[in-house]
Amino acid sequence: MKEIEEFLRENKPVVKDNPTFLLDAQRRMEAVEGIKAEVDRQHSRGRVALIIALVAGLAAGILVTALTYLYPIDAQTVGDGLLQSVRLFLQSYRQYLVYPVALLAVILSLLLSKWRKAAF
Amino acid sequence: MTQERFISLVRAQQEPLRRFLLALCAGDAALADDLAQDALVRAYVASGSFLGLSKFSTWLFRIAYNCYVDHCRKRRPEAVPVEEAVSLKADDSADRAFRYQQLYQALERLPEKEKAAIALFYFEDMSIKEISAILEMPQGTVKYQLSMGRQHLKQHLQP
Repeated sequence: MKEIEEFLRENKPVVKDNPTFLLDAQRRMEAVEGIKAEVDRQHSRGRVALIIALVAGLAAGILVTALTYLYPIDAQTVGDGLLQSVRLFLQSYRQYLVYPVALLAVILSLLLSKWRKAAF
Repeated sequence: MTQERFISLVRAQQEPLRRFLLALCAGDAALADDLAQDALVRAYVASGSFLGLSKFSTWLFRIAYNCYVDHCRKRRPEAVPVEEAVSLKADDSADRAFRYQQLYQALERLPEKEKAAIALFYFEDMSIKEISAILEMPQGTVKYQLSMGRQHLKQHLQP
C-alpha cells in the first residue's frame, strides 16, 4: 500500500495555466447577476400590483359598507323594479335581440381565430 | 457577499478546485474546467447561504463534487483518449506522461466516492474531517473509502 500512496503523492495531476478561467467565471457571474436583477424587478412589480389591489379592495369595501349604512335602501323593491324594467325592455325589443347576439358571435369567433394564430 | 469578495476567495482556490475536478474527470481538462465554472456560478448564486461555519474551500469543494455527481448522473463518463488524458507541460518527460496515463486510467475505474476521497486526501492534502464535510459522509466511511480506493488502485495499476 505504501507504494500506492507514494505513487499518488508523487503524481498529483497538473492543471494547465488558463488565464481566462477567472474572467470566464466572472462573465458568467455577471450574466447570473443580470438574471437575478430582472427576476427581482418582476417580483417587486408583482408585489406592488398585489398591494395596490389589496388597498383598492379594502377601500371599495369600506366605501360600500359606509354607503349602505348612510343611505339604507329596500333591497326587495329595488330588485323587483330592476327585474320589471329588464322584462319590459326584452319584450319591447325582442325582434332586435338577434343582431347583438350575432355580432357577439362574430367578435368571439374573430378573437378565437387570432388567439389560435398567436399560439402557433 | 459581493462579487469582488467572492472572486478574491475563489482566486486562491481555483487551482486546487480545477485539480480536484481534473482527477475526478480522469484527466479531461476541458470537462474539468467546465464543471469548475459551473461550480463557481452555483457557489456564487448560493453565496448568501454561506455562513462561514466551515472553511470556504470545504464549501466550494462540496459544490464542485455535487456538480460532478450531477454530470455523472446525466451521462456516463466517456473513455478519455490517451493524448487528452494527461494535462502536462511541454517539458514533462514521456515516463511522467506514461505514469499520468496509468493513474488516470486507474482513477477512471474507481467508484465516484472512492475517487473523490483519494483525490482530496492525496492530491489536495485534506484532512479526513474536511473530506467528511465535503463528501457528506462520516469520518469512518471516508477512511473505508480511502482504504477501498487504495486497494482498487493497486489492482488497476498492477501490470
